[in-house]
Amino acid sequence: MDIDIIDYDSCSAAGVNLTELRESLRQHRSGLIKNNLPGSDLDTWIGRVSQVDDINDLKQWQSRNNSLAALGLEQGTLRRTLSSLINKYGSARVGIVMGSSTSSIDRTETAYTELDEHGALKPEYQQSLVHNPHAPSLFVANYTGVDGPSLTINTACSSSAKVFATGARWLEYGIVDAVLVGGVDTLCLSVLHGFNSLQLLSTNPCKPFDQNRDGINLGEASGYAILQRAGENQNGSGIRLAGYGESSDAHHMSHPHPDGLGARMSMTQALNRAKLEASTIDYINLHGTSSRANDLIEGRLVSDLFPKTTLCSSTKAWMGHTLGAAGITEAIITMDTLKTNVVPGSKNLDTLDEGLDFSIQAADQAKSCKHVMTNSFGFGGNNCTLLFSRAD
Amino acid sequence: MQSRELQCKIASVGAWGSYFESWDALKELMQGGALPESKAKGPKPAVIPANERRRAPLPVRLAVESSWQATESAGISPEQLRCVFVSALGDTDLTDYMCKTLASEHKELSPTKFHNSVHNAPAGYWTISTKTMSAANSVAGFEESVSLTLLEAMVQCESEGVPLMVTFYDAPVSEVLRPLLANQEAFAFSLIIYPMTADVEGIPIRAKVENVGQIKWPALESDNAYISTLYADNPSAKVLCLAELLSHKASAKQEISMPLSKGSSISIHLS
Repeated sequence: MDIDIIDYDSCSAAGVNLTELRESLRQHRSGLIKNNLPGSDLDTWIGRVSQVDDINDLKQWQSRNNSLAALGLEQGTLRRTLSSLINKYGSARVGIVMGSSTSSIDRTETAYTELDEHGALKPEYQQSLVHNPHAPSLFVANYTGVDGPSLTINTACSSSAKVFATGARWLEYGIVDAVLVGGVDTLCLSVLHGFNSLQLLSTNPCKPFDQNRDGINLGEASGYAILQRAGENQNGSGIRLAGYGESSDAHHMSHPHPDGLGARMSMTQALNRAKLEASTIDYINLHGTSSRANDLIEGRLVSDLFPKTTLCSSTKAWMGHTLGAAGITEAIITMDTLKTNVVPGSKNLDTLDEGLDFSIQAADQAKSCKHVMTNSFGFGGNNCTLLFSRAD
Repeated sequence: MQSRELQCKIASVGAWGSYFESWDALKELMQGGALPESKAKGPKPAVIPANERRRAPLPVRLAVESSWQATESAGISPEQLRCVFVSALGDTDLTDYMCKTLASEHKELSPTKFHNSVHNAPAGYWTISTKTMSAANSVAGFEESVSLTLLEAMVQCESEGVPLMVTFYDAPVSEVLRPLLANQEAFAFSLIIYPMTADVEGIPIRAKVENVGQIKWPALESDNAYISTLYADNPSAKVLCLAELLSHKASAKQEISMPLSKGSSISIHLS
């Protein structure tokens, strides 16, 4: 595959931008706090981006999700890179593929708490471009001035991993000359109380792959990467999308396949597409939600497919499970190891699940990585694996 | 680089609406046939096991019904197909249920309704019911859902070199959101497509993305009032402009353009 990553940045409770995220990772400083989301008294921990609360001037686009999308776009050099691409190729030759699971349902929730005496939406909530699943891409296109095709992928927690596959295919067929891919999801009552109904939330900070893990923490995030065909931009990051895999579990709406058959397929596909052997993979950022089921199944699979030289970790104890934004957040952490040469530890891991045996530890490891991988698995049994390599 | 022409073959069609329960019945309506007297409430796709079907919301049943029809008609087993599902509106009945519950004192949500509320619920039910382990995508594109998803489907089909099912579906909008999102009609439409080089029977379809913005959806030839309402209000029923081409005799119009984004459109050519 010949797709270059030109630029990327991430916004989550572990850092409002990539620079802060790197610092939080280095210091093992988690952004998780006791749940304080207005309207929810659930006893759990969340990864909340407090700066989002200050963005209230989006007018007809206002929603917490769009505020977080906007905050993320203002980080690093994203806007500058995007502007130069629009100038070079024209706004219609740049595309957008966003992933989200909540879109702007936070706004619909708020609207319902303030319905008028007839049970109807008040004027400030009559936002057709916000109360629909395509809202993130509609907003990002409007905000950035990108006029090419823009699509939203909503496959729950694999959404913003799959954006890379769709973006890469668009480039391959010349549909556009550059693609802004990304993801955004915000904390809202639907996800907190929804995951609570499935008895998946932990009352403690999550401990992915730990023997004593007892559930997940939810978080919010936005993140973006800009993709082009290889060699068409000399100012890129030096990182290449080398492969991807997409599969379905065909098992259950909210439980993973007990033997991880779908996850195995997506990891194998990514390796095959990149023409790489499992032994060449230096690091895998695992889906690792800290749920009993996911971590056991994913951990077994990794020990079956990869040698001990492949280092692994889950980084969800830094910002929580950011659902539709987890794919992009972890893709960025993964690809950034190719620059930092530090493999992040699996934060909060004390005692590895006794049913598991693979290379995972709490401490960071210095390693010059060449090929790195990340997994994202979602409800409906929807799996995606991404593989990034140094371009040289 | 220029946008490459995408080339696939349409092997079969599936369709379901309140006044038609198959592609043949939809074709009849579009060609001037009379509207049935009674309006059907919703399909009961046999492929979903009975205990799951009872819990399956209307958008899931719509999508799975037309998907199953198209698959049966193509004579292909579902697990060989990648799939792409699109709905512009999602499941607004479940949005309404969740938002009402969360606005109340007691915020306990039903776990089944919560997992059914994900936009990829139809893709989930489809892959689970048919034991399909291939890639499943679930997307949204608001008013441009049909054109964007045709693009996504044809690019995937050609790039991955495999047959693919694409299903467009939208259900009536719940009361609170109705002033914003008008749709009051159930509609689902599916296509099975193959790469042009595949050794199967099918109608060739070619598509090209053009940097021509701000175009309108083409007018339908059908003057059936129900079909016109569907086309105007149900974002997934915008695929009816392609359905009309597919229902034509060989001599008729074979090309249309659809809006894709503010600065782009997609031209579709059959044959």
